Amino acid sequence: MTRGEPEESAETRRPKRDEGRHRRVEPPAGRAGGTAMTRHVLGTIGRATFLAVVLGFFSLPLLWLASAPFDAHPSITTSLPEFTFGNFRSLLDNPYVVSSLRNSLLQAAGSAVLVVVLAALAAYALSRVRVPGRDALLYVLLLLSSVVTGTAAMVPLFELATRLNLIDTHLGVVLTLSGGLLPAAIFILKDFMDGTPTSYEESARVFGASPLQILRHIVIPLVRPGLATIAVWAVANVWGSFLQPFILLRDPDKAPGAVILYTLYTEGGAPRLDLISTFSLLYSLPVVVMYVFVSRRYGFRFHGGIKR
Amino acid sequence: MISLSGLTKEFPGGVRAVDSLDLEIGDGEFFALLGPSGCGKTTLLRSIAGLETPTSGKIRISGNDVTALPPGRRNVAMVFQDYALFPHMDVTSNIAYPLRIKKVSRSRREARAAETASRLSLSELLARRPGQLSGGQQQRVALARAIASHPQVFLFDEPLSNLDARLRLEARTFLKRLQRELAVTTVFVTHDQGEALALADRIAVMNAGRIMQVGTPSEVFHRPIGTFVAGFIGSTPMNLLPASAEGGRLHVAGAVLPLPGDIADGPLVYGLRPEYADLSQSAPTGRRDVFSGKVAVVENLGAAHLVTLDSGDLLIQVVVPEGDEPAVGAPAWAVPRTGRALLYRDDRLLTVA
Ligand SMILES: Nc1ncnc2c1ncn2[C@@H]1O[C@H](COP(=O)(O)OP(=O)(O)OP(=O)(O)O)[C@@H](O)[C@H]1O
Ligand SMILES: [Mg+2]
Repeated sequence: MTRGEPEESAETRRPKRDEGRHRRVEPPAGRAGGTAMTRHVLGTIGRATFLAVVLGFFSLPLLWLASAPFDAHPSITTSLPEFTFGNFRSLLDNPYVVSSLRNSLLQAAGSAVLVVVLAALAAYALSRVRVPGRDALLYVLLLLSSVVTGTAAMVPLFELATRLNLIDTHLGVVLTLSGGLLPAAIFILKDFMDGTPTSYEESARVFGASPLQILRHIVIPLVRPGLATIAVWAVANVWGSFLQPFILLRDPDKAPGAVILYTLYTEGGAPRLDLISTFSLLYSLPVVVMYVFVSRRYGFRFHGGIKR
Repeated sequence: MISLSGLTKEFPGGVRAVDSLDLEIGDGEFFALLGPSGCGKTTLLRSIAGLETPTSGKIRISGNDVTALPPGRRNVAMVFQDYALFPHMDVTSNIAYPLRIKKVSRSRREARAAETASRLSLSELLARRPGQLSGGQQQRVALARAIASHPQVFLFDEPLSNLDARLRLEARTFLKRLQRELAVTTVFVTHDQGEALALADRIAVMNAGRIMQVGTPSEVFHRPIGTFVAGFIGSTPMNLLPASAEGGRLHVAGAVLPLPGDIADGPLVYGLRPEYADLSQSAPTGRRDVFSGKVAVVENLGAAHLVTLDSGDLLIQVVVPEGDEPAVGAPAWAVPRTGRALLYRDDRLLTVA
């Protein structure tokens, strides 16, 4: 700071200057106290502006979601609605909407149960039994899981589902989606289980508890927040899945909400923004409610990081 | 009765934590496994519990070969070093857990838990979770849980090491009384020789997976059969000095002592507990059976002081009663009491001098 020197001497000559007085009150505040202050204020303003822009960017779609369903003539922009409940009525007139919500629920719950049960068992075993190459196996599974349910695997998956007669069944969708979620679920749950000392289980074993009793009495209660996390995550994932049910289900009676949302177009191919926005709001509510409920109940917390 | 024969546990990687070990523990005995860190005490205890599968050897409890039985069918109860109380269960459920496994009805097991808890002065705490208990209370809950399972054998892994020094003394007395009342065979692991001496009926001193000596506290204290045990037992380490027998005399650190009995000439190790020597601050006239040196360190032990004498190239420690401690740097003489020194040759106890 080259300007600091002359200022300093000027101060000492004329102690009545503002900065001089300020310095006397707070001697350790540093040489260029004034400039630092300005920089601090500017920095705060800059940060706040940046955050406001980011916040606006993300909140506009949410605002749209909150307003458009109640707008008689919604457009792609967010605006104050011409208030109406009519959109909900016309949405419920669509025969597939209600059944699609039920389908979504069925597929999400089925996958969540399957993922939680299988991942808990696998994670427990992997956490407690020394398997050679265990970590490598987990990482490879994790890597492949994005491929399994990804676009690239759609053709073989379709082929497989056809041969197994799983086309047009909820089971087919549940199995496919669970397969994709399992590796990550196992990975996260294994971390939870690694974090619980083995002496609890050994203690129970000495008292004669069987492995399943140990799992039920000791391990599951201890990793319950982890199980809740996985369940919520699985439900949210399945709830939003489009490609797999779209391909595996031919019958619109079995399609979940995410697929039905895609059919809300006019004959001419224009999106029915009124129905899409209303359905989107309706469709996102259960997940939000579930998240709030589970987070209240169990409080999402990860013991330690993903990897120690 | 627990009987181990040729018990060996080798971990993958080649560590022999327990090395062909033979041991008999009597009914109702309070038995201590004592040894330095890493000598295999926990591994031995876990092998008895069934939590480790021995590489070879046999374990019998009351005459039954339990080597291949799972832990739950050996009728033992183990208290872990970290107590391993289930954090999501309250004290009642923790104590009653062994009964829950045995399918005892809820009301019966709650009554039994309350009864056991009152015996260990835990009645006020029945509704608490382990996280809300002090270390001493947790230890008693762990004991209560072990007692509630009515085992044939108690296995304790360093049951007192998580308590602070003051509480440890209280818990020690309590544990001893409890074991006397219950009269259940108890094996406990400790690396604290004082704890082993105070609590146990018999002690096995272990080193590197082997048992060096088995005996009553008095035997291992007064007649340690090897220099390892001699150095390990005792609150102040024993002086172990190189010595030699020549023509019926014992030469140790500049002193010449009478040599008892029929000991052949040759090198020896002379062992003397610091408690069994007296310190004199004036030269004893005309005596050659004393160690002379300069006071190097004086450590306060409370009611006594531990004085370290620098005698040429050897250090000799002496416990001096309160008030008699010399000044650092002053010359002093250590006079061994007769019949208290131990003579070792080839690491075996020969005799007492
Ligand atoms: N699971 C294991 N795998 C490999 N080596 C082990 C295992 N458990 C213990 N060891 C080794 O076996 C030896 C004995 O261990 P052990 O835990 O029995 O010692 P300890 O006497 O209980 O010691 P401490 O007083 O420190 O608890 C040690 O060298 C230890 O490193
Ligand atoms: Mg140990």
